[in-house]
Amino acid sequence: MNSKLKVPCIPIEGAISYEDWLKGRRHRRELGNRVAPEILRRRSSSSDRRLKKLFNGKRGLPFTPTGEL
Amino acid sequence: MDANKIKSALADVTAEQDPTIKSLKMASLCSALWAERGVELVVVGGSAIEILTEGAYASGDLDMCHATKASLPIRERQEIMGLLGATGGPRNWQVAGMFVDVLGPVESFARTPYRRVRAPYGDVLLMKPEDLLVERVLVSVYPGENLAARDCAKKLIAMILDGSIPVDWAEVRRLAKLPEYRNVAECVKLVKEVADELKIKSPLHSD
Repeated sequence: MNSKLKVPCIPIEGAISYEDWLKGRRHRRELGNRVAPEILRRRSSSSDRRLKKLFNGKRGLPFTPTGEL
Repeated sequence: MDANKIKSALADVTAEQDPTIKSLKMASLCSALWAERGVELVVVGGSAIEILTEGAYASGDLDMCHATKASLPIRERQEIMGLLGATGGPRNWQVAGMFVDVLGPVESFARTPYRRVRAPYGDVLLMKPEDLLVERVLVSVYPGENLAARDCAKKLIAMILDGSIPVDWAEVRRLAKLPEYRNVAECVKLVKEVADELKIKSPLHSD
């Protein structure tokens, strides 16, 4: 594990607890946003028909904004 | 898992409005029920990347494979998913306001362990990031340029470089050299690009 890391890592061996996984969510989102656009969900796929039917024309539930993670 | 616990878990998953937490909880519930019958499930593909990276990538379906050699007979799969009030099957179900796909045997070449989250209803196994990285880089280039896959790979690489998701870099290099991938140069290039953006040194070299 990176000793400078301020949030728990998802380790190679063993497990991360649910609470620790939750704690790291904002850090992971913010880090990802430094190298790629915030929302990467594809606009279409072969599952569109069933997804859009269930999610009112969308392909899934909206992602929680970074500030609320 | 007794009927009351299943009922309570199902209500929790159904009410959950955060798509990533919902996926993780559903994976936890399904994994627990399948494990009771001797089958270990693993979250794969974009669903695994979402739980690992918070990359806002996945859609409203959860993709899982079985890590144990055999899956369950169709009848048993339908019975288990029936406990959750699922409709459809025998490989894709609608359940608790989302879709769950159990696709078949997992395809993994890395010798590292599946990553593990101690989720509310039982452990969730996640596809190894070594496999995910090399595979996503491949998809970003072949059969043609795929910018969504490239951005997804970049986020995963950023987590790895930052230490949020430690990996075995020797294993990444070995996988990229396998006939199944043959994409060492592409992996080295993209890892360097992300490392440069984060102003750190790339640990992946082509030698």
